[in-house]
Amino acid sequence: MAKVTREVVERAGVDVDQLLELLVKNASAELTTYYYYTILRVNLIGLQGEGIKEIAETARIEDRNHFEALVPRIYELGGKLPQDMKAFHDVSACPPAYLPKELGDTTELLKVLVEAERCAVRGYTQICNMTAGKDHRTYDLALAILNEEVEHESWFSEFLGEGPSGHYLRRGETSPFVSKFLK
Amino acid sequence: MRRFTAEELASYDGRDRRPAYVVYDGKVYDVTGSFLWKGGRHQAMHDAGLDLTRALLDAPHGPDLLARCPQVGVLEEPEADRT
Repeated sequence: MAKVTREVVERAGVDVDQLLELLVKNASAELTTYYYYTILRVNLIGLQGEGIKEIAETARIEDRNHFEALVPRIYELGGKLPQDMKAFHDVSACPPAYLPKELGDTTELLKVLVEAERCAVRGYTQICNMTAGKDHRTYDLALAILNEEVEHESWFSEFLGEGPSGHYLRRGETSPFVSKFLK
Repeated sequence: MRRFTAEELASYDGRDRRPAYVVYDGKVYDVTGSFLWKGGRHQAMHDAGLDLTRALLDAPHGPDLLARCPQVGVLEEPEADRT
């Protein structure tokens, strides 16, 4: 735990215990999503499925990166992760991204993916709102993750035909926003 | 549709396996089955058994998500508010 780090955040008016609970819940959402996306990805088959496999894989890897970027901040603020993996899963800020019943239906699979991303966008927006101007490091981290989650939502939304996403082709490595927290 | 007083609503707090109900805009929703309301608590900051109409104004989502849960009643206005 970084004593002064926690102290300055508390003095800025943030309920640190509440923030830590949210960080743990969102860390859980990232790790469980990484797990569920692994299953979703291998079920993206056929002409339609193969077309979105690459972005599903990128989202999967970036969600794992988000988990790894969140963990140090949780410990810095004096929090900890549940000892039990099932307990960790059950506190997730987002519902499990289960495979749809109709395995061959790529549209249903895309709906699962986009719902998971939308939950994440809401979660990090909440953390940004709580920490803006008060906890600069958590805000910076949550904003970086939010930027990637918004891109994920856009990718899947675009495939669902919900409208132009406005994003450009990704270049370079994964996690363009969060990678600075992983070095 | 069943009418709830604020006192009755408070007992549907989702704790100890009790059902979890919340109110938005006078409508009582059953959120017991929602993964996001386990134990009657939502995202570390909201509790079941309460009117969350004001809280939803600051939430990162609109009432549409709440409306996915079944409506089980309406909240009675306090007598002082009736004209």
